This record gives sequence, C-alpha cells and structure tokens, in this order.
Amino acid sequence: MVIKGLLYTKEHEWAKVEGDIATIGITDHAQEQLGEVTFVELPAVGREVVQKDEIGVVESTKAASDIFSPITGTVTEVNTKLKTSPEIINDDCYGQGWFCKIRITDKASLKNLLDAAQYEEYLKGL
Amino acid sequence: MRAAGTFIFEAKMKLPAGSVLYDEHLKLTNKSHIAEFAGYLMPLWFSSISAEHSAVRQQAGIFDCTHMGILETSGKNAEAFLNAITTNDVAALQVGSAQYSYILDAAGNVLDDIIIYRRGNNKFIVVVNAANEPKFNAYLDALLAGQAIVDLSKPRQLEFAKTRDMRDINSGSDCRVDIALQGPESVEVLGKIDRAVSKQAESLKSFTFFETKLVGIDCIISRTGYTGAKIGFEIFVHPESAAKMWNLLIEAGAVPCGLGARDSLRVEAGLPLYGHELDGPFNISPFEAGYGWAVKLTKEFFIGKATAEKTAKSYDMKVARIELPGEKGIRPVRQNDGMLINGIGTGFVLSSATAGNRQIALVYAIKEKIVEGTPVGVYYLARSESQKKMGKKENIDLGEKYDADINGKIVSRFEKF
Repeated sequence: MVIKGLLYTKEHEWAKVEGDIATIGITDHAQEQLGEVTFVELPAVGREVVQKDEIGVVESTKAASDIFSPITGTVTEVNTKLKTSPEIINDDCYGQGWFCKIRITDKASLKNLLDAAQYEEYLKGL
Repeated sequence: MRAAGTFIFEAKMKLPAGSVLYDEHLKLTNKSHIAEFAGYLMPLWFSSISAEHSAVRQQAGIFDCTHMGILETSGKNAEAFLNAITTNDVAALQVGSAQYSYILDAAGNVLDDIIIYRRGNNKFIVVVNAANEPKFNAYLDALLAGQAIVDLSKPRQLEFAKTRDMRDINSGSDCRVDIALQGPESVEVLGKIDRAVSKQAESLKSFTFFETKLVGIDCIISRTGYTGAKIGFEIFVHPESAAKMWNLLIEAGAVPCGLGARDSLRVEAGLPLYGHELDGPFNISPFEAGYGWAVKLTKEFFIGKATAEKTAKSYDMKVARIELPGEKGIRPVRQNDGMLINGIGTGFVLSSATAGNRQIALVYAIKEKIVEGTPVGVYYLARSESQKKMGKKENIDLGEKYDADINGKIVSRFEKF
C-alpha cells in the first residue's frame, strides 16, 4: 500500500510535509518485509540531521533495519509510544506508527524524494 | 592454514528456484514473505512468526521441507559405506528406525548433520541440510574418484554403495520430498484424514517410522522433526504428490508455517543449525554442540575419527542455552552479541529467537562457566553507524569487561515440552 500525497525514499521511508514540519515513518512495504516489529530506537529530540543520516533502528524478530532521514532538518518530536508498543508500526505504519517529526531546514532536500506514483513504480521493479 | 584432510568445496552460483510447493505458498501468502534460502524460494512466514510458533507449541503446524536433500543409499555395501562416512553406528540401526549422525571430513570438520532412515537391510534414506546438499554430493563424488582423503594415517579403500537423489523424479519410481507436521495436535490432524494411519503414527516411538498410504498417496511417516515438539512427524511423499499432501494437511487443521518459525522453534528447543551451532565461524564440533553421543568413537573406523578422538578429550567451549526478557520494546539479541558472566566476556551468541515473552539464545561459551541458573548478561554489538560513533563495539573478546545491555540466565541445554 502506497499513500498519495506522501513523499518516499528508495530505503522505504515516507515523509508527510505540512508547512515546515515533516512527519517521518516507514512504508507498508518496509513493515511487510520486516515482519513483527519488536524494538525501535528513536533519535534524540533537538538533533540536527542531514538527508540520508541514520536516525534510528527498527528491529523485528528476524531483522534489524536502519532508518535514514528523508530530509535535512531538526528533530522536534519522536513517537515515544513506539518504545513500548513497537507493533503499531505493523498495524498502522502511515498513521499511529509514525517515527518522528523534523523541522525542515533545507527545502531543497525534498526534491530528491519520490512521489507516490514514482515509489509505486520503484516497488514494482524490486 | 587448513588442517590436512579438509574437504574444500566451492559452491557454484545458481539462480534460486521455487520449492515444489511454491505455487501453493503464493496462494497463502504475500510474495514479500518469500525469500531465498539455500537456493530455494521459501516462505519466511505466512501469518506471522509468533503466531506460527505458538501454533506448533499448542496445535499443529506444517512446514515445507521439500528443499531438504533426500538421498537413497542401497545395495549390499550400503551399511558398510554409511558406517564409514558417518559418525553414528549404522550397524546398530534397525529397519524402521532413524538415527541422527554427522558427516566429517578426514580433518574432522563437520560437513553436515544428517538423519539416516533404515528402510531395509540394504536400503537407507539419508536426509541432509538443503544448504549442504551440493557440498555433500561433491564430497561423495570426490570420495568415489579417490580425490578426498579417507584416512590420514593409512591408505584405506571404501566399499561404495549406490546413492540416488530421491527428489529427482527421473532417478527412479520411488521419489520423496519432506513435509513436516509438528505439534501436539499432529495425531488429530492425521486422524481427520485417516483414522487407522493416525493410530499407527501415534504408536510410533521417537526416531521410528512406517510406510503407508494416505488417501492413496505413498507415505513414509516418521516420528522426527526439528521443532522440539514432543509429537511431530515428517511425511515423505513423491514430489508430484507434495501439493496434494500439503493441502490435505491444511484442510485437516494444520497451520502452514515458514522458515521463521522453523528457526525460532528449533532455537527455543535448543536444536543446532549447521553453520551456527555446528561448524560455522567457530568450527564447532559435535562434542561442543552437545551431541557427543552421536559420534561413536568405539567404531573401528569412520572418516574424521582421529580428530574426533582428540576433540572429545580437549574442548573447552560449549554450546549453551540462555533465557532473556523478550517483551515487545526490548531490543532483540543477535548473532555474535557478547555473553557476559559478572560483566566479563564469556561467550558469543550463535542464534536467537523470541518465544512468547522471552528470548532464547544459543551461545558458544566457556565450558566450565556453563552452570544452569547462572545469571548472564548480553552485550549488544553495534548494529549501525550511529551506535559505533557512540562507542558500541563491533565484537567482544573473552575475558574482557563489558557493561551488560540485558540480563538473563543460563537454562537447560534443551527445552522439555
């Protein structure tokens, strides 16, 4: 499942941009691949990140996967619910299972991201 | 430097192929849950690893094991041949019984762990790991051609027996692949298909089998498996009947399970996986794995015996099982993480799995420190660049001090269900 209106990376993160804040998460394809998520490592609030910086880890019973920031900015909020209920990522990866929020400091970094149609096309090629 | 007598095998690259049940899997699960394993496209899970794990512990699950190598060794030399190339005592194996065993090279390296089934005085089935089958075949060829060393101390001739790939439908009329039915309700599942057969299966002792028909399909049903389940069977059928048997078992209530649960169940049970708890980076011997009983040093000869005799007396590391918290939100331990006792590096994680609210890990640890109930810690190795930057190490050394990231204890080598 790919949601229209979101931006995507080839590493299967999504970003929802509202004003200068982007909400970040992992895609349905990513959670399908991982299986049951059992642990999430979140970035520190206030951390400044550059696009493609590693900002956390999602681990399932079978694999560990790094999360890379889709954009350049400052982490303003993290989804602390994931610490005790990481399975929300499996249940609702585009909604309740969001990962963190980042205040965009470099809008140009958005240009490198895929739109829903491009991401869907990319998935077909995998 | 490799020890003299080491069998060297270079695997050829080949494109992965679906197992004979591949089309059935696609009916049951998303393609993204199918991955390459040992050259086969195999399901990792159908519903979820944890649901399938508990189905096997509480009900009955079935596994596609059609990727496992199944070889027939037959003829008048069959017993002598198998007795020379495997570590357990084939002469003591009764018709209708099965035996866990090892194939070693002349240097004593474990080439595979296997199960031998005796179907007749001169007829055996050898089940080998899917990942090791190409190596095993190359080894047999090398022995036959006189290119692999049999005995380092003196020239020795083997009495060869005919070996046939039973999964190859062109190799003969009697062909087989393996489907495993495992869990406490396995007998009930069989009973829904054929009451008389289920009765006979129920009376099987561990590591025995019988040959029968289920809805007209020729079957070998054996009381063996790789889940630790008290009740579980492997059903060997012709490859062309595999899909029918698979669906029949599902209709009778068995839950289809993937490789994920197969691994978590065997880890929970304490069973070794070749490349992890046997051979692998630590070159773990059967003695260290806890299976010295399957290496019969009293036998006059088997390939690798001289080294096995030395190893049996001299090993100081051993495979152990540890238990750790495993609730959601707890970082899972992984292969190579450090096992600590009193904050000192004492072993390495070989395999790990989540089973309910706990994690079970199989570790390779200093033998004398392995005492059931001993508190242990685990040091998570760095798994990402940012963790490395924060000072997390990429490997641990025995005898060095570390801070434990999670604490648990040593439990019995095998789980009793």
